[in-house]
Amino acid sequence: MSVITAKKLTKVFSKKVRAVDGIDLEIAAGEIFGFLGPNGAGKTTTLRMLATLLPIDSGEATIAGFNVQKQPHEVCKRLGYVGQMGGADHLATGREDLLLQGKLYGMNAAKAAERAQELVAALDLADFIDRRISTYSGGQKRRMHVALGIMHRPDVLFLDEPTSGLDPQNRANLWEQIRKLRETGTTIFLTTHYLEEADVLADRIAIMDYGKIVAEGTSKELKQQISGDSIVISFKTDGANLERATNLLKQQTYVREASIESEQVRLYVKDGAAVLPDIIRLLDGENLAAKTIALSEPTLDDVFLRKTGRSLRDTEATKNNGERK
Amino acid sequence: MKLLRDIGLLYKRSFTEEMRNGLWVIVGISTPLLYLFLFTPLLKKLAGGPGFPSGSALDVFLPGILAFLAFGSGFSAGYTTIFEIQEGTTERLRVTPVSRLALMMSPILSNIVWLYIFIIVLVAAAIPFGFNLHLGGMLVSLVLLALIMTMTSAFSNSIAFVTKDVSSMSAVLNGLNLPIMLLSGVLLPLSLGPAWMRVLAYFDPLYYVVEADRKLATGSILNGTVGLAFLVLIPLTALVLWWATRVYRKAVA
Repeated sequence: MSVITAKKLTKVFSKKVRAVDGIDLEIAAGEIFGFLGPNGAGKTTTLRMLATLLPIDSGEATIAGFNVQKQPHEVCKRLGYVGQMGGADHLATGREDLLLQGKLYGMNAAKAAERAQELVAALDLADFIDRRISTYSGGQKRRMHVALGIMHRPDVLFLDEPTSGLDPQNRANLWEQIRKLRETGTTIFLTTHYLEEADVLADRIAIMDYGKIVAEGTSKELKQQISGDSIVISFKTDGANLERATNLLKQQTYVREASIESEQVRLYVKDGAAVLPDIIRLLDGENLAAKTIALSEPTLDDVFLRKTGRSLRDTEATKNNGERK
Repeated sequence: MKLLRDIGLLYKRSFTEEMRNGLWVIVGISTPLLYLFLFTPLLKKLAGGPGFPSGSALDVFLPGILAFLAFGSGFSAGYTTIFEIQEGTTERLRVTPVSRLALMMSPILSNIVWLYIFIIVLVAAAIPFGFNLHLGGMLVSLVLLALIMTMTSAFSNSIAFVTKDVSSMSAVLNGLNLPIMLLSGVLLPLSLGPAWMRVLAYFDPLYYVVEADRKLATGSILNGTVGLAFLVLIPLTALVLWWATRVYRKAVA
């Protein structure tokens, strides 16, 4: 059964920017669904529309069987939403904030206290739960935000960039917590611009770019679309060599695709390890001495590159230049 | 009733947050105290002179300060709102099943309670220096002050939702704050000013509050000045609340 559905979901800002451009979603109960894309791709906007925070311009969506536009109140009760900023009350202690959250969802004081204690155990909050939230570290704060989001035992949990800004250890820790949540039957819809996060954590992934879903499937399915390994070659001398090497490699039967990408040649081949010696011999024979050769199995970044013509890592590097909004 | 329960929960949240923000409390109470003790002495010689109603300098000036306090703290409510938008708190509270009305009114309610606490401190501080407290008049003026505070808080919060950024918001609020304050006669009676200024004052809601507050401080409750203040403030507050509700419902925070 689909717990989250969207049909032709669309959001247009300022009458012309199609932030979300007619996307369809079907997310099954108990799934961790990852929304992968660069900043500004429309991931958060989608999440906010589904969470009743932003009016839907056109299209339809349901959460746990309720229409987001027509029954927002029912949707709210079944939905947990953890925004990028989290929204915890800095001057309150973690426990106070959890109790408030529980009561806002209609729990009485005893039930809220009981549930808060459950979450303290489940999310390892005991060390800091009775301190003011303003004193928490980044990782502690994020766990606190997740606890707030699941205080009322929602069917569906939205996590917007859950591990953004966390160090690798805290990130792995939070991934563990999210997996545990899924085991309790919660459907989790998360956005991320981290390739690893989508790869390791999500059961299914949708890749989003410029408001559209450009690919969707399990990590394995997506990588299979690349059909083969990627080889990246850099050369000792520059310029025209790149062109010559690319043309030469394109003529080889084992090369499926070859392109120049930031002063390097990128190839897609079926069995990388087997053809590597051939490539080296070929290049040496033509006096095109390679400086480095890197062989890798396809990653989600290759998928992103294939679908959008850009690398997600490059997009990330330029994300603060404000060129995409 | 659910709405009242929600308002109660959120009111408690706002009130506690503000109490824990010690600096906010200190500044909130010290500013009017400073006006009282660093400005009133300058008025000593003027009291009883042209433009001033009878009574001590404090009797004239303290009611104005109270009006100014209500107006000013209401006007600065938007700063908390901006902070909560940026911290994601607004978003977090909006996805709960709590009504928007409760979300909008609870912080205002908390502001009014804080205003009353500050007023008690100020009045208590002023009595030893010669302020004559008329309890009945003071109670009516508390209602009037709650009205102007509700209006300015709702207005300020709406500006926060519209601008979503501190610098644009403070430009708008500061730009309005000064003329409204000067034209209200809070600091010096407007009867000292030229005719055109007195005409402009009629467009300043704070002017009516200050005038009525001064009348109320003398113990006179049933009079035209007080009636006029309520006649202006009630529909104006209703209008601003109507607008604020629309902004709040549509706002994307």
